[in-house]
Amino acid sequence: MWTYEKKLEYPVKIKTANPNMAKLIISQLGGPDGEMGAATRYLSQRYSAPWAQVKGTLTDIGTEEMGHAEMICAIIHQLTRNLTPEQIKNSSFAAYYTDHTTGLYPVDANGVPFSASTLQSTGDTVTDLNEDLAAEQKARTTYENLLRLVDDPDVRDVLKFLREREVVHYQRFGELLRIAQENLDSNNFYAFNPSFDVRRPQPRKGTPYTGA
Amino acid sequence: MDNRDAMLKRVQVYDFALYEARLFLDTHPTCKEALDYYNKHLEMAKAAKDEFEAKYGPLMAENNKGDSWEWIKDPWPWENNWEA
Repeated sequence: MWTYEKKLEYPVKIKTANPNMAKLIISQLGGPDGEMGAATRYLSQRYSAPWAQVKGTLTDIGTEEMGHAEMICAIIHQLTRNLTPEQIKNSSFAAYYTDHTTGLYPVDANGVPFSASTLQSTGDTVTDLNEDLAAEQKARTTYENLLRLVDDPDVRDVLKFLREREVVHYQRFGELLRIAQENLDSNNFYAFNPSFDVRRPQPRKGTPYTGA
Repeated sequence: MDNRDAMLKRVQVYDFALYEARLFLDTHPTCKEALDYYNKHLEMAKAAKDEFEAKYGPLMAENNKGDSWEWIKDPWPWENNWEA
């Protein structure tokens, strides 16, 4: 169950419309390393997560990513308000406008619709957490690419916040990978898959929460 | 920045502190210092939210109070000041 809070995680207040910027930034909604993919990835992986820390973190980061998708949508919405046909005709946003007007539709910067083929959920916690670490770095790279192209300070401020979140999430996923490996056979992490090969993975003695 | 924005920003600041602490606690559930930080900011966030909601309406539907349905009132979070 989720409950909606009527606010953004971080304020988005853009004064100047800019359809060219919208066309690029929308990739962080529906693109290969965007926020919709991130939320889908973590909120799908959690069901096969074997330990409490992994379940909790995937739930909470997955939830935050939904909030980030909302922030990207707010950016696109505000960048495409009150455009004239002339402004659209002279921008790279014209093709998107033809199909979607100024409605929000998840595509990448090339206009390719969102696809779950950009993410994985394997039921193997070591595999999934390595996927998550890579995903956070890919999202960081994309934000840095955008920051090289965007000069409006109102937009840059929000992109910088979102970029920082990728760095923090990467840190948390690194800790989860360490926790997971500490609870596996230290001689061979790959000896068994805790979500499939054992009915209930047993935590090592003296590690609270992991078996709860 | 108008007063609504300023009061909402306070809520966002406290909620962000809470959120960061929550993620840290997810991977460090026995860290006493982090839990104290979380509990302290929980109270501050609650106070900032109560203050905001008393003046500008509910941030969550369940906090709608009284004999009118304030929950759906503009502005919604993605709207900036001059369209709502």
